[in-house]
Amino acid sequence: MERIVGIDLGTTNSLIAFVDGDAPRVIADPHTGDPLLPSIVAFSEDGQTVVGSAAQAVLAEHPLTTIQSVKRFMGLGMEHVSAADHRRYRFAEETGIVRFAIHGRQITPPEVSALILRALRERAEAFLQEPVRKVVITVPAYFNDSQRQATKDAGRLAGLEVVRLLNEPTAASLAYGLDKKEEGLIAVYDLGGGTFDISILRLHIGIFEVLSTNGDTRLGGDDIDQRIAERFLLAGLPESKQHDPQVASHARRAAEEAKRSLSLTETTSIVLDVPEQNIHVARTLTRRELEEAVDDIIARTLGPCRQALKDAGLEPREIEAVVMVGGSTRMPLVRRRVGEFFGRTPLTDLNPDEVVALGAAVQADTLSGRRKDMLLLDVVPLSLGIETMGGVLSRLIERNTTIPTSAQEMFTTAVDDQTAVDIHVLQGERELVQDCRSLARFKIPIDPHPAGIPRVGVTFMIDANGILNVTATDLRTKRERSVEVKPSYGLTDEEVERLLEESIDFAETDVEQRLLIEARTEANTVLHATDKQLRQHAALLHEGEVEQISTVVKTLQDALQGSDYNLIRDLIDALSTATTPFAQRIMDTSIAEALEGKELSRV
Amino acid sequence: MDYATLVRCWRCADEHPVTLFCPHCQAIQQLLPQVDYFSVFDLPRNPVVDEAVLTSRYYELSRRLHPDLYQTGTSEEKEASLKNTALLNRAYRTLRDLVQRGQYWLELQGEQLGRDNNRVPPALAALVFEVQEQLADVREARAANKGTEVTAELATVRVEVQARFEQSCMTLEKNLAQWGNTNGTSGTSALLQQLKTCLSEIAYLRTLLRDVDKESEASWNG
Repeated sequence: MERIVGIDLGTTNSLIAFVDGDAPRVIADPHTGDPLLPSIVAFSEDGQTVVGSAAQAVLAEHPLTTIQSVKRFMGLGMEHVSAADHRRYRFAEETGIVRFAIHGRQITPPEVSALILRALRERAEAFLQEPVRKVVITVPAYFNDSQRQATKDAGRLAGLEVVRLLNEPTAASLAYGLDKKEEGLIAVYDLGGGTFDISILRLHIGIFEVLSTNGDTRLGGDDIDQRIAERFLLAGLPESKQHDPQVASHARRAAEEAKRSLSLTETTSIVLDVPEQNIHVARTLTRRELEEAVDDIIARTLGPCRQALKDAGLEPREIEAVVMVGGSTRMPLVRRRVGEFFGRTPLTDLNPDEVVALGAAVQADTLSGRRKDMLLLDVVPLSLGIETMGGVLSRLIERNTTIPTSAQEMFTTAVDDQTAVDIHVLQGERELVQDCRSLARFKIPIDPHPAGIPRVGVTFMIDANGILNVTATDLRTKRERSVEVKPSYGLTDEEVERLLEESIDFAETDVEQRLLIEARTEANTVLHATDKQLRQHAALLHEGEVEQISTVVKTLQDALQGSDYNLIRDLIDALSTATTPFAQRIMDTSIAEALEGKELSRV
Repeated sequence: MDYATLVRCWRCADEHPVTLFCPHCQAIQQLLPQVDYFSVFDLPRNPVVDEAVLTSRYYELSRRLHPDLYQTGTSEEKEASLKNTALLNRAYRTLRDLVQRGQYWLELQGEQLGRDNNRVPPALAALVFEVQEQLADVREARAANKGTEVTAELATVRVEVQARFEQSCMTLEKNLAQWGNTNGTSGTSALLQQLKTCLSEIAYLRTLLRDVDKESEASWNG
């Protein structure tokens, strides 16, 4: 049985997990031990890319060519790009699908995501010591068809077979249900870096049945960071500085750090330091101030919660457990608001960063045929319909219908000898076509006959991935008719093929190149970390140690100029050996500090 | 299942009545799209459905048919699993819901509500007139920035429409209960007429409720 692994392709961080024996586990970075891969990709001028913490390290310096939160752009058109996005990135076109302009190249969001997927794949292959080809990738439950298709394209571009797209809250419910062995009605509240989902499920003897789902695919921790940055760091600066990409990028980073510490403490300091631009803002921030500033953002999650309950035909008090997922649910304010809404304390004992990836691994295990005791019954998040006369949407499939599901429609011609029928498919809850999201236009060829004579049966099938497939049959001849698809906000099949060919060419000619890039990336990460520790814990250094470490650092920096990746790898190891005693002392000290002040009996 | 039609198993070529799995080789079989929803669950063709039985059969069948279980299967198995599960899900959704089950029953009798059934059902004329008047008032008040004053009145109207809606649903439930006793004999045409009337009332009341909700939402957002 070929192994299938689970991937959480997140807005802020991505993870890869597999089932080890019986239990799912996340594969961490072999060097840092960090299970999270920051979903950040940096493009250098010479066409090279770095992913993860190495990209994060250059983010503030190169904000225009380092793509962060690419998930927010998946499956979107330029008309959905906000003014803030326009200040943050450079785009190649004003219309059509989103294309970033980077060093004179056009790069689409699925290509950026593919680089993240590739990095995860390499991590898993190194750990499992086997090729990884098949994956389950999670997506926000409220992702529409175009966003799902874009995610699938990203998988293809990374050379992966996407066996299933799995809704994130559903994945979380799997990990939760199997861990707690609970039954009954649960709500999964998933507030991540860029997206929000709420799903209501019934757990019943191994069946995980989604009753309803709702959400907002552009609402998350990013918005909270942005608000903190604007309110507490940028507000006092001249407008030109506020909108400077470098300044804004530093400010968001500082805001995020302050937000994190205010989940643990009542007061923190927040600092924006950009010496190149002569900017230095520092102040203290209390949790209360933070909460007042972002309360309306958190409140925006409650409308979807109300709608999801209504669609499931339930009252808040009927929910027996509320599971919290996503890094943003670490905020005490979020926990409080959700607790008030459902009238019960939400469950926060699962790791909100890892639970989705773990659930994806469990589902991957089922799909590989190894596990047979559980089954997911998921739903389509948005109604699907076709455009009819007068720009009105005729709904064929209602939201929250269990998938797979299908609907049939019969079409005929309006004029003599018409040779095709055009079908415009949309997703959304509003009545007018202009208020819904266009998915695709389908052209179905027809043999020429007098008007009204041809009868074409069209089947709209939403598969288990939540993706639409259209097939057509000539009802007179019973022959299948080909369907030509024009996605409204996606790559065409030809475009995916072309990008795939380019990336395969690149991959095969440049294995050496890739190994070198990886070694360099890792070296930079290690150098960065060493430098930070040396500065922060200078007091812990023994005599002669600085010189010894500096020598290795210097040799490694020199090696980075060359292209001998084996030498770079050896020097990384040498540096690690040289810093081991120092690292040990840092560990000891921080443990001692953590224990300080606690009664011995409680340790 | 439809025992009159014989089909041939795609795998072992055994000829058998329409079933989900081949009696000879156990391979999953593609159901005919026109198979009736009751027979999918092996239930009698009766518009009164025991929800507990329906749900437990739905889960049981899902556990055997779902595409997740055929991921590693042949293309025939995958297709049969996908199409059967889509049919199963549609059948469950229809039979579980009183109104949808009523509409489906009407279809099985060879009848249908008009697609654009926009005529006001006579029994609702007075209520509809009243609601429309209220909605017009609300729109006017909102235009004059006095939205919040009328939302209370709107809530009262909503209660009235909701009560009428529930009344029609009860009529529908009673109507469906009587079909079991007719055995296709006389009395059927009167029942059929009543079924049509009450389904079209329900459809109209739903639209009315949606209009009221939309209006009160608009007033809130002022």
